Amino acid sequence: MLTGLIIVGLLMAAGFALHRRGYAGYAPAPAGLAILHRGEAAFVDAVAEVLFPAGGGLALSGIDAQLPHSIDRHLVALPWRQRAQIRLLLGAVEHITLVLPSEEPGGRGRFSSLSAASRIALLDRLSRHRFGLLRLLMTALRSVFVLGYLGHPANLHGLSLAPFEIELGVSEAELLFPRVGGLVSSIAFGPEDLNVAEYREPLRPDGERHRAYARTAATQTGRAKR
Amino acid sequence: MSALSTDWIEPARDRVRVFAQYDHAFEEKADVVVVGSGPSGAVAAFELAAAGHDVILLEEGPPFTVRDFELDGNLSMTRTMREGGLRMTRGTTMPTMQAVALGGGSLVNSAICVRPPDSVFDRWATRYDLERTDRAHLDPHFDAIADFLGIAPTPEEVQGPRNLLFRDGCDQMGVSSEPISRNVKGCRGSGECFTGCRSRAKQSMDVSYVPAALRAGARVFTSVQVQEIRRSGRRVTGVSGQVVAPFTHGAAKGRSHRFRIEAKAVVLAAGCTATPVLLQHSDDLANASGQVGENLQFHPGVAIAGVFPEAVQPQFGATQGYQSLAFLDEGFKLETLWAPPPLLALRFPGLGEELQARFAELPNMAIFDAIASANRSLGRVRKRFRSLEPVLEWQLHPDDVAILRRSLHVIAQIFFAAGARKILPGVSGIPHELTNIEDAAVLDSSAVKVGNLVMGGNHVFCTTRMHGDPTRGVVDEDGRCHDLENLYIADTGIFPQCPSVNPMFTGMALARRQAIALSERL
Repeated sequence: MLTGLIIVGLLMAAGFALHRRGYAGYAPAPAGLAILHRGEAAFVDAVAEVLFPAGGGLALSGIDAQLPHSIDRHLVALPWRQRAQIRLLLGAVEHITLVLPSEEPGGRGRFSSLSAASRIALLDRLSRHRFGLLRLLMTALRSVFVLGYLGHPANLHGLSLAPFEIELGVSEAELLFPRVGGLVSSIAFGPEDLNVAEYREPLRPDGERHRAYARTAATQTGRAKR
Repeated sequence: MSALSTDWIEPARDRVRVFAQYDHAFEEKADVVVVGSGPSGAVAAFELAAAGHDVILLEEGPPFTVRDFELDGNLSMTRTMREGGLRMTRGTTMPTMQAVALGGGSLVNSAICVRPPDSVFDRWATRYDLERTDRAHLDPHFDAIADFLGIAPTPEEVQGPRNLLFRDGCDQMGVSSEPISRNVKGCRGSGECFTGCRSRAKQSMDVSYVPAALRAGARVFTSVQVQEIRRSGRRVTGVSGQVVAPFTHGAAKGRSHRFRIEAKAVVLAAGCTATPVLLQHSDDLANASGQVGENLQFHPGVAIAGVFPEAVQPQFGATQGYQSLAFLDEGFKLETLWAPPPLLALRFPGLGEELQARFAELPNMAIFDAIASANRSLGRVRKRFRSLEPVLEWQLHPDDVAILRRSLHVIAQIFFAAGARKILPGVSGIPHELTNIEDAAVLDSSAVKVGNLVMGGNHVFCTTRMHGDPTRGVVDEDGRCHDLENLYIADTGIFPQCPSVNPMFTGMALARRQAIALSERL
């Protein structure tokens, strides 16, 4: 009886500790996330803030680029196995302080609770660590963030690296196949719409860039400045 | 504008099936069922249909129209690639991708079409008992495909500065280089081959051979996953599987209607990593030799970013417009490269402002890469537990590490000869930036270890290799499985060794030859 009570008590204590470490105390998640929970969103912002600081020469900082949303969109599109791997990756670095504590007081706290200086120092430590597995962890984490940050339309537009604004080609494929998810009967093109040719005028290297990227850049950059 | 008659379009539409149409299980019959609509499968389907046979072409992915292309490189990969574009090898870790779309990899590759040199075919013939797999026998097939797809060297007006810098660097070094021949008509130089050509200039299979197959009478079923090859004695009788929803990576539980197709012959063109898994899943079919899934080879690739004093406007120009075949005898081929910038930037070193400063240099950057003929680096493909995705085990051989080191050093020399201010080798364990040719010598030294190399390997070979000896290979020179009378394989898995150059053209030429041979037997 007593043993049972002790086991139950230990389990409850462990559950409480896990809850406190893993879920409690985070600010509410930003609206519109499909997968990331508030702890993960807080972690993403904590990394983004130090990995891509404001004033770093690009149109948007990591925080302004709203990486929780872009990473969330990526996760939604991934198969469950890869989605789980990335979420494990986020969780692993959030709690890596348990084995690689920061030097500041409370250095074993969650990554997202550390000061900015301690966070960037810890990421730097990971990227140079003698254990290949930890370096690999950092490479993977960095990749997830770089894709979201540099892929932001405002940042690409600011670097003149947004896709070109081009007339969409209409080939026989557009006449034969519907858009993904549609029925063949929904095909909107007919033979009169075909516009592909053996030769078409090349784009100009400084030609107009995709309007949606330009629009997003104007909106987001203005918002970030405010 | 197309001057050709389009009367065939309406009837051809009736022979297309897409996900939204499947509302019940179905069974069909055909002369030939082709599994996979990538370059080899599409060529085989067209040739067989054009010869008058009743052909069904099956594809697990959906057709993409030009409005379905996703410009965000990251999201594009999740939609067009298996495992969301995050597939990795085990052993020596390296990312590798396989497309899942009508047209297969041709939808999202850079359209490179290169014929392997005679030396490659000589090696294949000698070591693998092949008598008809040489340039003399294959050139008519290469020629026919080149005519059909309009394969031609990339014109100078769409090269853009970053491709021409490669040419200039090679010229300065006295190294031969040439514009890359591609299956493209009317390229405008948007540099977005990897996310789908919005101009529809790239002659990917979905705009070329698949429509031609439809026009010739073939039926095309998309969003269908083949799960089993059915067999009776020494013959296969068809395939079966289930409908899968687009972008669900085969995991959809909802509309999973079953299907079954009976055929006089089956052509597997599911790709070098999927075909062996399908055979293993079908009671280890065609594996008396024990070679199914073995001998896995890649062309591992490495790349360097070079930063020039002036802007090179890298977004403009053919994705891969120039190459050098001067080092094929040493085991590597050099190319220019562009991709969605966030993907290129994954290899940039640094954190915080240092990393952002490198992003800001992207407008001044060009990327040159090397692919290695790593035929000593071997691996195998196994079926993952309760899945049709593969497990890829592969080890980079030390001799091939030496080839990659040497290729990195040559790329560095080309960059500095072209006037680069500095290079970012993307190799851990050595300086993040190199600013002169003397310092670049470190790239060809023991400081560059396997674990430090950042590689990618999207050319995959040999897992169902062709061999004249039935005990040592899976298929014969016509692509027919040694063990079975009417099962054919037509993808890069049948290559006996890596071909040292980009494989799509060779795969299509072999598929055309196979289709003609099969047609005569039907």
